[in-house]
Amino acid sequence: MKSIAASVDALLPSFLTAYGPPGREAGIRATLRRALRGLGTLTEDRTGNLLLHKPGKGPRLLLAVSMDAPGVIVTRIEGTGLGRVTLLGGRAPAELIGATILFEEGGRALLGYDRGRGSKDGAELEPDQLFLETGLGPKEAGRRFPVGTVGAIQDEPFRLGELWCAANLDNRAGCAAVVAALRGTGVIRYDLHVAFTVQSDLGARGAITGTFGIDPEIGVVVDVAHADPKEAGGPSLGKGPCLGLKEEGYLAHPLVLELLKRAATAARVKTQWLIRESEGSDARAVRASRAGVPTALLAIPARRSGGPISLVHARDLVDTANLVARLLTTPPSKQPKGGSR
Amino acid sequence: MSRNGAPVFEERFLEALSNAAGVSGGEGQVRETLVSMVREHVDGLEIDALGSLVARVSPAKGIGKSRAGRARRGGPHVMLCAHMDEVGLLVTAIDSDGRLRVRKVGGIDSRILVGQVFRVGESAIQAVVGSLPPHLVPRAEREKVTPVEDLYLDLGASSREEAAIRVAIGDYAVFDTRYERWGTISKGKAFDDRAGCAVLASLIQRRPPVPVTAVWTVQEEVGLRGAAAAARRVAPDVAIVLEGTASGEMPRIEREESAPRMGEGPAITVQDRSLMADRRLVDRIQKTAKRRRIPTQWKRPGVGGTDAGRIAISGTGVPSAVISAPCRYIHAPAAYLDLRDARRMVDLVWSTLETLREEWP
Repeated sequence: MKSIAASVDALLPSFLTAYGPPGREAGIRATLRRALRGLGTLTEDRTGNLLLHKPGKGPRLLLAVSMDAPGVIVTRIEGTGLGRVTLLGGRAPAELIGATILFEEGGRALLGYDRGRGSKDGAELEPDQLFLETGLGPKEAGRRFPVGTVGAIQDEPFRLGELWCAANLDNRAGCAAVVAALRGTGVIRYDLHVAFTVQSDLGARGAITGTFGIDPEIGVVVDVAHADPKEAGGPSLGKGPCLGLKEEGYLAHPLVLELLKRAATAARVKTQWLIRESEGSDARAVRASRAGVPTALLAIPARRSGGPISLVHARDLVDTANLVARLLTTPPSKQPKGGSR
Repeated sequence: MSRNGAPVFEERFLEALSNAAGVSGGEGQVRETLVSMVREHVDGLEIDALGSLVARVSPAKGIGKSRAGRARRGGPHVMLCAHMDEVGLLVTAIDSDGRLRVRKVGGIDSRILVGQVFRVGESAIQAVVGSLPPHLVPRAEREKVTPVEDLYLDLGASSREEAAIRVAIGDYAVFDTRYERWGTISKGKAFDDRAGCAVLASLIQRRPPVPVTAVWTVQEEVGLRGAAAAARRVAPDVAIVLEGTASGEMPRIEREESAPRMGEGPAITVQDRSLMADRRLVDRIQKTAKRRRIPTQWKRPGVGGTDAGRIAISGTGVPSAVISAPCRYIHAPAAYLDLRDARRMVDLVWSTLETLREEWP
């Protein structure tokens, strides 16, 4: 299993720095294509999901992994040359203050914010209080960054001890775990489909269309779960991947959960539970596709440290990859009902 | 017919559609009006289970071949879509003194309701949202907005029995506004989205360059519901949603904050709360507008949502875009629209369909 750990370490930095805010995932798609070469048939669907198919004899298994990262979209350029933006994805405006924004067409800008009159520290910031510092005059800024221009957060990942520190870990960490697992797994017991989905942060939009097209019999979603150190009983870093029991619109299917548990035991990976009220991952979209898909969520714990940076424990990431690798070689306990073919 | 063979925008369609009543879930009158406008020009017309009107139109014979003589099987199947429903009120109870209790259907700002005249139910009886004259309003109340739960519609009936002769619980109420025009500026209710409905009905007057399914949807204002069902059934290759959207010009608002502005051309959506518009399709529309010298503007990103959001995630996904006529004061008693924008929309959609016939994606 050493090779899986080495794979994760080799893949993650290039995934983190690949360009791919919601709806503009061409950069990360190309990076993933290169990383997946030789692992199966690659196609891109109409929504932009990258689909890998590795035909096999068992039931049709979908691994859904979102590949978009948070971004911003320009709403107007002011007379001063400053830009106004709104956010693409679930980040709070306050977390993005000071982030460097990269544009697909080239160029960069800084995200600042209006302190406002008498605004207190810690007050909830609205996206329209953010502004883009372009360093350009209004004419040039309007030409370079017209309304509707999408920007990504520049990521410069680094390691602090055992922790990966980066802006785009949600969900490039999941992408790295899954690709490393695909490279390091044994004889796959499934007809395997992997969907690297788009626009997950805007409401699992890619997962909705991707799952519809694949029509799987079993769904496993690999994502990141944000761990709040203040929350007792919640997931924490270094204690292994989370098995998702519940989030908005999703309850783990008992048979798929059991499959994940067996894979974890076989891979000697410790796991923890994830129960959250918020909607977070692609799980609800996969679960509710067509006549319903037995689905479970596997999530890598991550901590938000303020600002754009999140932290992921390197061992959790490798354990997640090991679990997924083992999952693919673990036969399902009994055929879950569902699927139409 | 205009220079490029596009049909012309029919103002009489906008007038009839704006005057028709059609709050979400009660779109019948709008649907009947549309049927009479398009019946003669379509190959198939049906009403789906939720009430959306679905019209199929194939291109004229011989048009399916591109200039190179290559058979293209008529090009991609395009769904053009506009929603029939408007925001309004729903009667929830009749008080013993004959006053009607109401709730909002769709997004209406409570601040605009007091004192408004509405048309209620099938009989279109007029009723006013009651208000105290300023003499009687206590000083402390003057600065407050009355929530809709505390408002009522007054027919002039003096008892529940009297009111019940003309009105029933479950009846809808629409703003009592008749269509008018001043030069190229139209005024009327429900331009969101009767403007889109009229543009679409105008487009259907001629056989399109590609196979088109025109869908006038129900229940957009309460959650994009009609479009979700219709898209699944139509299963198009491409979708273009036609809307009447909010223009932002108001006194003391900076020009760059007020975009899109009425009269400055159709607004094109890059992103809103429901959709990341398909980039290739947006580029196509933008390039077509440039070539045809049609002025366009960007709809402000991050606000609003349209049927396109649901169509885009239908089935295995549908590349979708939104083209809107910027209207002042939508979701209010009377909106303004510059007819030049509506004409440009017809031209732009038609020209875009022509390019789709040549090549897509």
